[in-house]
Amino acid sequence: MSPDDVLNVLSKQGLILPRQQTEIAELERKKPFSLHWELRSMLYIGILLLSLGLGLLVYDNFDQIGQGALLTAIAAACTGSFYFAWRNRPVWTLIQAKSRSTFGDYALILACLLFLTLEGYAQYAYEVFGSRYGLVTLLPAALFLPIAYRFDHRGVLGMALTALISWVGVTVRPLQLYFKTNFFDQDTVISAISLSLVLIGVAFVLENRRIKPHFTYTYLTIAGNLLMVALLGGLFNFDEARLWFALGLGIACFAFDRYTRQQRQSTAASEGSFLFLLMSSVYGYIGVTYLFFHYLKPSSDDTYYWYFIVTGIAFVYYLMSQLPKGNRTNESI
Amino acid sequence: MKAYNEQWIYNRDLLIQSERWHRQGLLSDEQMEAIRKAYPVEFRRTNGFIEIGLFLFTTVAILACYLLPASIFSGMLDNPTVYGVFNIAFGIGVGIVGWFLINRRLLYRNGIDNAFVVTLTGFLAFGFNQFLPNGLSVSTHCLFTLPLLLLVLWYYGDTLIAFFSLAAFYTAIFDSLLKVSGGRDVLPFVMMGVSLLLYIGVRQVINRTSNPTYYADPLNLVQWLSLIVLAASGNYFMVRELNGLLLESSSGRSALTEAPQIGLPVLFWILTFAIPGLYLWQGLTKHNRMLIILGTLGLIAAFMTVHDYTALVPLNVALTVGGLGLIGLAVAGIRYLSSPKHGFTDAPDDDSPNELFINVATIAVAHATSTIPNGPKDDLQFGKGDFGGAGSEGKY
Repeated sequence: MSPDDVLNVLSKQGLILPRQQTEIAELERKKPFSLHWELRSMLYIGILLLSLGLGLLVYDNFDQIGQGALLTAIAAACTGSFYFAWRNRPVWTLIQAKSRSTFGDYALILACLLFLTLEGYAQYAYEVFGSRYGLVTLLPAALFLPIAYRFDHRGVLGMALTALISWVGVTVRPLQLYFKTNFFDQDTVISAISLSLVLIGVAFVLENRRIKPHFTYTYLTIAGNLLMVALLGGLFNFDEARLWFALGLGIACFAFDRYTRQQRQSTAASEGSFLFLLMSSVYGYIGVTYLFFHYLKPSSDDTYYWYFIVTGIAFVYYLMSQLPKGNRTNESI
Repeated sequence: MKAYNEQWIYNRDLLIQSERWHRQGLLSDEQMEAIRKAYPVEFRRTNGFIEIGLFLFTTVAILACYLLPASIFSGMLDNPTVYGVFNIAFGIGVGIVGWFLINRRLLYRNGIDNAFVVTLTGFLAFGFNQFLPNGLSVSTHCLFTLPLLLLVLWYYGDTLIAFFSLAAFYTAIFDSLLKVSGGRDVLPFVMMGVSLLLYIGVRQVINRTSNPTYYADPLNLVQWLSLIVLAASGNYFMVRELNGLLLESSSGRSALTEAPQIGLPVLFWILTFAIPGLYLWQGLTKHNRMLIILGTLGLIAAFMTVHDYTALVPLNVALTVGGLGLIGLAVAGIRYLSSPKHGFTDAPDDDSPNELFINVATIAVAHATSTIPNGPKDDLQFGKGDFGGAGSEGKY
């Protein structure tokens, strides 16, 4: 439906004045067409391609003439980007800061990506960190975390948290939905669970103190997924401790459910908090299903089907009961 | 009579537009209240994340409901006719239950009803195809299923069904062309022609229909896909590599090292650039976001095609230069449009999916960081390969 159609209908019903109709129609006609997100997507893709290309360039020219110049150029670009971002840094505040320049945020991302290239190369060529591989990932984490806070940048915060998670030996790859890790190792699972609990705790403490409360969502998304995957990994792999992991999963799901309810009551802008409800129900369902078949080992196929019918309907009811209810017409859509 | 209350869908569109004006201060609070009263929407309010969960769990429950009787009567279902009747009956049953749920629970694209539509279509199509004699070609199956899909599409206006209908349509053409002699040579032209007709047809429907809101999403999807197929059918890389693959499979020759040159290479090289160029030009003059995005992506794909066949520079240089070029263009565009010019602006507006974009950016960044080397030296292929952002096709 075009704006003109809507105006005609409203005017015919006497809901807007004729003067208003012409005014709004005029505004709609003159309104410039926004290319905001198209241009930013292009900038973003360009930054990813550039850092990928430079990374490949360095490795492909390993031990060749001109390599030094190339590294110098990348280092200069990294410093330059960071300097530019620093010059355009937002004013320091404990709440969400307003970005002062269009390109500062993107320059910061480029600087961070180039830093990773340089660091990876330094380890590859000169073994700066020797065999202490943990340091390779701890360094970006330690560097990016304060940067994320100073520049109020959620993307860099995501990078810092991912580096931190890599540091404890887990590499989560949200795009491929698979994890290159070994959850058969009890130490890895325990450390992943501990780290995610620490991160979640830190996020809540900071939110309580009103220090960058809008970062909580990023913390909870990343740490929450890590926690759930680690708990499921423990549930699948360790016979002797299975029930403890099951208990942990239950508590985590319950906590996320409570959190979503609480969020929904407190603020209007909490549509995203339903993500945690989805996470707890899907991960919880996987866990429950595994436990059911592991312990009951039903002999006939019918039990399987009945199980999925009953639980499927039950989860649908549970999710439906969480949907916002009430005077729908009077709420914004 | 259709699955969802058409008046509410119409009202919903009208309210969305009015809310936008209300936010901009063009309508007063009292006026907005009056509009809400005059155009009620009774659908259940919903949330994207919950919808995903509802879709998953509903599908699980329906499939289990199907498998339970199917396993009990498995002995009787060896006969294709009985099996077909069973599937169709089950599909109709799913449809009836879905109808009750949609009306009682006031559902509209809440995940639950989407799951019902998709599974019922699957059962009906599967059961229907059991009645067709054995040995029919893929294209015949697609052609016979298409009316069924279109019927479901007419009733529900579901986007996923629109996608399946379009897929069946294109598969039917593709497969039947390969059966006739010379079909492989005309394939790109037929695909381009059909896509163009489809696009023009949909535009006509949108322009002529006073109230196409019920089908807004399917119509949108058909436009996107037909334009993509149109550009891809004219792309030199796609035509040459697909032709090579088809030659390989038809003649039984194993693994050609390189796809052979195609007929009319000059024409396809021109089309590789001309079609996306035309999209971009039309998009900019007509202020059509879809054409602008597809034109830009198509031109990027065109440059990648050139790189693939001429290899003027190695991949790493191409990526670096390409990245720099995109950054330059974007920066120039943002600076140029900092104040509105020629009817364009850099200021964000309501049409943009800003929250979604921010989330996608965070995921992509987290993914990029996860390629940080943390293994022994042999694994240190930093940054090799698994970036998802470039929109590249094939071997790039």
